[in-house]
Amino acid sequence: MSSDYELSDNEYYDEDDDEVMYDDEDGSASEMDVDFRISPNTKVKSYEIDFDSLSQAQVEKQISQDVEDISGIFGVEPEVASLLLRNYNWNKERLIEKYMDSATAVSIAAGLALPEKPDSSSRSRATQSQPVGAVRRTTRRNTNEQPKSGKTKILERVTPPLDDQPFVCPICFDDSQTKTMSLQCNHKFCTECWNAYTTSKIRTEAEHWITCMAEDCKLVATDDFVKSALKDDADVFTRYQELVVRHYVSCNKNLKYCPYPSCTHTVSCPAGASKSALTTIVPIVTCGASAGHKFCFGCNVDADHRPVVCGVAKMWLQKCQDDSETANWIKSNTKECSKCQSTIEKNGGCNHMTCKKCKYEFCWVCMGPWTEHGTAWYSCNRYDEKASIDARDAQSRSRASLERYLHYYNRWANHEQSAKLSVELYTKTERKMEEMQITSDMTWIEVQFMKKAVDEVFKCRMTLKWTYAMAYYLEKNNQKELFEDNQRDLERAVEELSELIESSIDPESALPLRQKVTDKTVYVQKRNEIMLEDTANGFLEGRWKWNMSIDGFDEPTEYAY
Amino acid sequence: MDARLRRVNKEISDCKNDKTSNISVELVDNSPFHLIGSFLGPEETPYEGGHFQVDIIIPDSYPFQPVKMKFITKLYHPNVSSASGAICLDILKDAWSPVLTLKSTLISLQSLLCSPEPNDPQDAEVAKHYMTSRASFEETARYWTHIYAGGPGKDGKKSGKTGDSRDEVAMAGLDKAHVDKFEALGFERSKVIDVLRRLNYRGANVAKLNDDRIVEELLK
Repeated sequence: MSSDYELSDNEYYDEDDDEVMYDDEDGSASEMDVDFRISPNTKVKSYEIDFDSLSQAQVEKQISQDVEDISGIFGVEPEVASLLLRNYNWNKERLIEKYMDSATAVSIAAGLALPEKPDSSSRSRATQSQPVGAVRRTTRRNTNEQPKSGKTKILERVTPPLDDQPFVCPICFDDSQTKTMSLQCNHKFCTECWNAYTTSKIRTEAEHWITCMAEDCKLVATDDFVKSALKDDADVFTRYQELVVRHYVSCNKNLKYCPYPSCTHTVSCPAGASKSALTTIVPIVTCGASAGHKFCFGCNVDADHRPVVCGVAKMWLQKCQDDSETANWIKSNTKECSKCQSTIEKNGGCNHMTCKKCKYEFCWVCMGPWTEHGTAWYSCNRYDEKASIDARDAQSRSRASLERYLHYYNRWANHEQSAKLSVELYTKTERKMEEMQITSDMTWIEVQFMKKAVDEVFKCRMTLKWTYAMAYYLEKNNQKELFEDNQRDLERAVEELSELIESSIDPESALPLRQKVTDKTVYVQKRNEIMLEDTANGFLEGRWKWNMSIDGFDEPTEYAY
Repeated sequence: MDARLRRVNKEISDCKNDKTSNISVELVDNSPFHLIGSFLGPEETPYEGGHFQVDIIIPDSYPFQPVKMKFITKLYHPNVSSASGAICLDILKDAWSPVLTLKSTLISLQSLLCSPEPNDPQDAEVAKHYMTSRASFEETARYWTHIYAGGPGKDGKKSGKTGDSRDEVAMAGLDKAHVDKFEALGFERSKVIDVLRRLNYRGANVAKLNDDRIVEELLK
């Protein structure tokens, strides 16, 4: 048992069956353990959701598929089809319908053709030859006559116009420029100005809809035109393509752009797209670029807020931002030892505190003596309703609700802080592990158990953190009791593991410690899954009742507080 | 030469050579990228006879991004902030086109003075005044032109007379009798003017607002 447990996850579960059975005796997760006996690797967990991560190239492929479809149906060039689609927010059906009604109107709206009567202020030359009314024919004819050129709309000329006047660009007033470009409207500007203009539109305004520079001219540059205007400046053109992709993604509710800075991946999650689904599932997704790019598909929280659903998470975060209630406790980052009153600052992840001065052992969260925490009546995670009634008698009602809030907030914030501290602690431990590799006969792979344990503690503390937000809003009933039982089991296990991680390591104790830590890690992992699984199922079954009205849920029957 | 500098220099000389449009631009601190433009108030408007100055900043990405303009001269207009001089005009924002010039933009500002757009206001109080009582609005606008832009004023008086209480009431576009009435109730004159202006106590609105509502507001 001590040698091979790195081999597979299945072995973890086999080894730990006894402990699960033992824990199920308090009735919280009896339905769960049946599930856990089935191979956990193949089962779809109810707290996880199906999603696909798409790279920018994959989205571009989808886009070009749509563009090809439209291009085939309408008989227009792909770049024209692309502009038509963009103007209709990539809604193919609506575009087809409208295009069948009036191709001319759709083309004008999409900036592909000039309106019937160009107004006098626009500087289009009188020599403009094509009858602008026949837009559809124009486009068609272009495709028929020069199907392979792909440059029908880029009129790049090296020679000045026919008249004797040398060309003076109306923007930079430079008469030495001989190269000009123009869209179909024939508003000519020098290539330098087009370059500066498109670059500025793309870089500064993040615009993918680049209109002609002339005043009131609504014609739009096609991709090819943009490319040649940029003089093949690859960086800016890449940015342009990215903007088109972003536009496509923002128009499709099944897609979301990864919110992490400079990430170009997209996540497709149809299950999390509808608002009504958000009351039963928590669509936490990860983009393909990095495992750290974890975000919620349903709301804009860029972190894993499982097990609570978006509506509850949002309410809780809003409440926490409200200074009126947080100011009361924010003042102190330190606490006094309840025996000798020395001021103590927490510097590790574990909540088992020992006062440096009087050696009093207590729990950082509830400030009670630590001896109580090891016994069966561990009750650190639960708000003491009895004490709360007493408080209500003595003090005002508002004071009690503040205390209730602070109870949950304290634990919420504490888990967050502890999680951070355990990661910091790990960097110290890591050094120790390296030393151990040299002094003892352990291999690199054998000292990795610490990393696993710290990762698991971090993950579980994140779950625990959000369970307190959830418990704050849960109506007090049997379901909440069960929820808190699960929460307590997880919390106790996490605290024990956390303490193990912090214990001092020396060559003699290394092996037994490794054994303990590994066992505990597996157990904690399982408790976390139970917590997430049960809460997720509760949402699917509509088991949770709230003590206040929450977006998307039924009104509570009565207010508990 | 830098394309932006060449273009701005040409625009400045264009404005100097043009004698017909009554538009001029001057350099601030000898930099061609910070200018003061000025033009005369259009005829047959409350701004007639006024001389309006506009602060102009040419951004680095000019002419591909619009120039930044705001009025230095205070004026009473729905699309110009009466406090800061900020201007609400589409061509200074998303309708900007690189072919527009300093001259054409200043001419657009001039024509904005002819035809205010109260439905897209910069200064909501002024716009309300414009919508409820055109005559009273024009009187106030003329008064502001007289005080701040050196216009001829109502009776052709000389400009520059400011400060006395008659001015304050006229500046806010209110009726002196109304201000006197509430002042007689024991409120400070400046507070009365402020509240009445805020509530748009003008023209037809006077009948809609009862005295209790005003007093309530004054007591706040």
